[in-house]
Amino acid sequence: MAKLIELEGIGVVYPVHGQAPKTVLAGLNLEIQRGEFIAVCGQTGCGKSTMLRLILGAEAPTSGRVLIEGEVLARPDRNRGYVPQKYSLFPDKTVLDNITFGPEMEEFNILGRMTPKFFRRRRELRETAHALLKQMGLDPMDAHKYPDQLSGGMQQRVAIAQALIMRPKILLMDEAFSALDPATRSGMQRLLRTLWAETGTTILFVTHNLHEALYLGTRVVVLGKQNSQGSSNVIADLSVPASSRNDDGQLRRDELDRLIHQVEQAGEPQLAEAYS
Amino acid sequence: MLWRIDATPGRSITWTLSWFLFIAGIAMYFYASHNRHLENPDDKVIPSLNQLAEGVENAFLKPDSEEAAPDELANASMATKFFTSMLWTDTVASAKRFLWAMLLLIPAVFLGLHMGMFPVIGELFLRFILFFDKIVALSVLPILFIAFGIDELSKIMLIVIGVTPTIILDTFNLTKSVPKEQIVKGFTLGAHDFGVTYRIVMKQILPRVLNSIRLNLKAVMLFLFAGEMIASQDGLAFRIALLRRHMGMNVIIPYVLWVALLLFLVDLGMKVANKRLHPWFREA
Ligand SMILES: Nc1ncnc2c1ncn2[C@@H]1O[C@H](COP(=O)(O)OP(=O)(O)OP(=O)(O)O)[C@@H](O)[C@H]1O
Ligand SMILES: [Mg+2]
Repeated sequence: MAKLIELEGIGVVYPVHGQAPKTVLAGLNLEIQRGEFIAVCGQTGCGKSTMLRLILGAEAPTSGRVLIEGEVLARPDRNRGYVPQKYSLFPDKTVLDNITFGPEMEEFNILGRMTPKFFRRRRELRETAHALLKQMGLDPMDAHKYPDQLSGGMQQRVAIAQALIMRPKILLMDEAFSALDPATRSGMQRLLRTLWAETGTTILFVTHNLHEALYLGTRVVVLGKQNSQGSSNVIADLSVPASSRNDDGQLRRDELDRLIHQVEQAGEPQLAEAYS
Repeated sequence: MLWRIDATPGRSITWTLSWFLFIAGIAMYFYASHNRHLENPDDKVIPSLNQLAEGVENAFLKPDSEEAAPDELANASMATKFFTSMLWTDTVASAKRFLWAMLLLIPAVFLGLHMGMFPVIGELFLRFILFFDKIVALSVLPILFIAFGIDELSKIMLIVIGVTPTIILDTFNLTKSVPKEQIVKGFTLGAHDFGVTYRIVMKQILPRVLNSIRLNLKAVMLFLFAGEMIASQDGLAFRIALLRRHMGMNVIIPYVLWVALLLFLVDLGMKVANKRLHPWFREA
């Protein structure tokens, strides 16, 4: 396992109009290895999305460095896939076009999209997209629908397919299942674990739900307030080895209690409480 | 029951209600016209049905009186008569200016889009366009006449000055309102600046931009008519202004209705085209 991402002494300060600037993260260090499934958990407003945006490159830290394979990258790129909670699909494109959009953009420029080669390639891509849809458990009938004709769960499946077709080095998901009803949500969680096991993609999944984090992650990172200024940092970094899970992927009772106890000890009793 | 806010009037009542004011208006018009004609059979202010019919025939089926009417037209078909009529000549003249103005809205849309996407372009233009937007277009008409003369250019410039700032700012705001997630998503899918601008943002806002242009059609017509009334040798508004001097109400009224019909049809056409081109778009 090699280091994929390093956060080195990250600080993020936002200017607030008419008030003192708000420090969201201070002195945060984190290393992510290739192939990990990291679940980032913490209470609302603790800076989870901010951390994800830093790794994505959509935002630069006020201090410190974000290294992707040892390099500082200033912008989101094709190596880092993104599945947000909302607006995850392009509303003007069908399911199929949403999925093939990435490779089409990457491989062809505006003139290239008029050549026969493009249309040949698009046929291939559509087959790949169909295969991905199947893997996501979606009906081929849905391939020509527009996003707003799909349920929330289906939309997020398509969004995952859209990101995975690029074979990103890391998949970043921000509360990707938070808008789903409980049954759909646990179905999606199972799907995501299966996909992770099958593709070996590194995944960073942000959630405010400890249950979700513990079910999904091979490692659970808890962000929390570290001091009276209200800035956040990693307060617990728990590894969840495969041996602590049953065959169905659920944590064993004793492991679960141990991990929850650790979160409580780390200073986030509310997170643990909301769990039970 | 019928007056409650949760009333559900039936089909026939709905139909009657929606046409009632039209029928009442027409009835009142002819009642007033009839009364005036009892006093003065030659009254021109509220023309009678006969006078209107004569006006329609003159406008819709006879060539512009200034060009000597050729005899061969006497037994031509209705269609030929219509397409050589005064009304049609005027319509073509106005339509040309209208189309030019619409064409000039295309660069306006692109400017707004790029202002919204590229901060440097936005900063360069935003303040200036906001200032431009506050200028009362009609107040610069004299300047336009001095600068561009009283020919076509100044009339089209009037429309451009009157309408493009609104369209630019509307497009700018629509561009800005596209969720950040979509743009980040575009980058993560290997798109570059122009890919994100045209293939993600522009595609998404286009139906709304078209709706915004539809809302501004009336403004386009307003400035078109202002220009034509003040300085023109042809066009629908030129004719209406000319007829005013002769109290030609029996032609003015059909002209006004014709203009309303044309505007309705253009709007409807754009609405249908918008639906066809953007089947995914749900009007909010
Ligand atoms: N652009 C910004 N300007 C000012 N403050 C910001 C900005 N973005 C985030 N913040 C603040 O930073 C803090 C952390 O925000 P962030 O969105 O990262 O939290 P989060 O952990 O994702 O919360 P949630 O669970 O509600 O999504 C919040 O207090 C928020 O108000
Ligand atoms: Mg968040």
